[in-house]
Amino acid sequence: MTGKYRSRTLGVAGTMAAALVLSACSEAPEASDYKEGDPHTLTVWTNYTGEAGLAWFDSVAQEFESSHDNVTVKAQHIQNEELDGKLQTALNSGDAPDIFLQRGGGKMRDMFEAKQLLDLTGSAVDSPELRDKLGDATYEALTVDGKLLAAPQLVQPGGIWYSKDLFTTAGITEVPTTVDELAAAIDKLKGAGITPIALGGKDAWPAAHWYYFFALRECSADTLEATNQSLDFADPCYEKAAKDVVDLAALEPFNEGFLNTSAQQGASSSAGLLANHKAAMELMGNWEPGVVKDLTPNKQPLPDLGWFPFPQVASGQGDANALMGGKGGFSCSASAPKKLCGEFLAMMNSEKNQESFYTAFGSIPLHVDAQDVVKNEYDKQMIEALNDATYVSDFLDTNYGQKVGTVLNQSVVELLTGATDPAGFVTAITEAADRN
Amino acid sequence: METAAHVNRDVPDSVRTGAGAAEAPAPGRGRARSRRVRWRRWAEIALLAGPGVVVFVTFVIVPVFLAGYYGFFEWTGYGIPTEFVGLRNYELILTDDAFLEALSHNGFILVMSLVLQGPLAIGIALLLNRRMRGRSLIRVLIFVPYVLSEVIVAIGFSLMLHPTGAVNDMLDRLGLSGVAADWLADPDIAIWSLMMILVWKYIGFAVILMLAGLQGIPDELREAAAIDGASYWQTQWHITLPLLGPTIRIWAFLSIIGSLQVFDLVFVIWGQYVADTAGTSTMATYMVANGRTSGEYGYGSAVAVVIFLISLVIALVYQRFVLRRDTEGALTEGVA
Repeated sequence: MTGKYRSRTLGVAGTMAAALVLSACSEAPEASDYKEGDPHTLTVWTNYTGEAGLAWFDSVAQEFESSHDNVTVKAQHIQNEELDGKLQTALNSGDAPDIFLQRGGGKMRDMFEAKQLLDLTGSAVDSPELRDKLGDATYEALTVDGKLLAAPQLVQPGGIWYSKDLFTTAGITEVPTTVDELAAAIDKLKGAGITPIALGGKDAWPAAHWYYFFALRECSADTLEATNQSLDFADPCYEKAAKDVVDLAALEPFNEGFLNTSAQQGASSSAGLLANHKAAMELMGNWEPGVVKDLTPNKQPLPDLGWFPFPQVASGQGDANALMGGKGGFSCSASAPKKLCGEFLAMMNSEKNQESFYTAFGSIPLHVDAQDVVKNEYDKQMIEALNDATYVSDFLDTNYGQKVGTVLNQSVVELLTGATDPAGFVTAITEAADRN
Repeated sequence: METAAHVNRDVPDSVRTGAGAAEAPAPGRGRARSRRVRWRRWAEIALLAGPGVVVFVTFVIVPVFLAGYYGFFEWTGYGIPTEFVGLRNYELILTDDAFLEALSHNGFILVMSLVLQGPLAIGIALLLNRRMRGRSLIRVLIFVPYVLSEVIVAIGFSLMLHPTGAVNDMLDRLGLSGVAADWLADPDIAIWSLMMILVWKYIGFAVILMLAGLQGIPDELREAAAIDGASYWQTQWHITLPLLGPTIRIWAFLSIIGSLQVFDLVFVIWGQYVADTAGTSTMATYMVANGRTSGEYGYGSAVAVVIFLISLVIALVYQRFVLRRDTEGALTEGVA
């Protein structure tokens, strides 16, 4: 009797499984047949969670609704770490939002190959005027096979954030421009009893940043670009960059227990150490002031926070003016109405909205006409560095895609702990790339 | 079933479910009636079990099959899987040192849980089974860690065991700074730290089980042994332990299953990147790091299948060779 029940239930389970598999294998979504004036609800997914950010988005949405009859903007603001998983499910189920945050790199390529993205070429956001104002290079980074897959919105250059007060206490008068000067600064800070560098090794990417920036200085722009496509790490500059990381770690500049320190959560995180003057420097993207602000004792911006570009290595092939930073933008899903999408993204990036974007998020504006609103000294420095940059690379893990990126980040942690050496490091990432 | 029949004595035949007797219609009943009874029974089963079955099938059975299916593909998780790679994912898993290391960590946790927790739990249970002041309070205190969420435990211990945390600070103040260590990152120590936390967290559950087992041992046996002149230790060795056997075997089974699934503690304390270098990675953290984080959903699914098979084999072997005596008794009585 029980045997009979079991076989029947399993039969039901099998049928349902088959049905689910089949439904999961639905066709790629059709292009929208939206015509101007049709009623439409434009769905947008962002990762904005702060009050100022939400207010900024609402004002853009209102502006769009008032200039487009019958169109409503419906936004869902999803916590940053949860966004990608949710989005992936939505894209696969054919129920994707019209417009969503795009991180670029390997993930964007995966979405493109799965035919989940709308080609924005020729839409309002692709207009020559806007391209000119936001910078052609930022568009190029979001273009694959001649198709514009996302509109740029911001760039987040990385560099070393430091406490001016602690530098003064340690007797450092000039910010380091070479790695040797950085080593000297580390010595002075240690001599003054100050932890030189805060590092959130638990999250791996903050540690990996050190490798990315050394690679940016060791490798020429051409080599870096070529590797983005080929994932070939044979050029000796990659092993040299790994050696630079090992040499830096040998100075023991990092906070005690950096392997079990997270990057951004709480006062004991690496950003928290900088915010509370427990460490003098941290290598981060330009989101750092915002993170630090939340972790200072009074939740006010750190008054003595400064920024300098990553120092140059001796005899490196990379240009001292090359920059690295995350690039963010917005994509449209394959079935979204192209005209509305392009217009919405163009409006997000108008001079006025880029200016208010800076006020809301503190992220330097891409739009050249909006750049005069920038007040902070470090933001001005960054804009200058950006305008002088000979080459702007995205973070390497983004460029290489999730699989190689994850192995890369993990291998940098192993370099720091001595679990692997520079040669073993290159072998590990090469093997990960070969699995492709 | 006998008990079920007792309970249902006053209920009409047609409503009785579960009792084997309802299967064969009693002689003399009309065919229509028996059909109606059967239909009604099915309707009842569908109504009562239906929602549960749907949820179970959708969220457990279907994903298991889907994982098996995805495991044959190289798939980034976007769109439908198209790149069929056969058994290549499995080949890669079983030759990946990182996975084998993770597996060995699970093995270590499994063995050490049994070795450390078993005797300790029995000892504490024997102690708490004697009349003494504050017994209930101690019982509660020992059980508290088990009730706490793993994430809370993990965050608490990661703060305390951090090199600049409370443990090292206390050792320092006691003049024992020589003993202070990097409890979480040093590969020689980290897995022992994990073991210590696991024991602390799960000992309460083992103690409660053992205590329940002890309650089932009749006092007469111990009294008889005492009359025959057995010492306290002889009584425990020759009477308590053998009679506690079924409880110990069930506890060991639960502990083994738990050891194969360790995830939350490691994930929260070490994160997915540091667990490897600290030597605390487990099969489950390996799966998340190499499946979800790397965006390799096909590979991750294959890892899930491997974990499933390893757990299944261990569970079946244990059931077949260790638990058979206990379950046979229970099941045959229940079914008869």
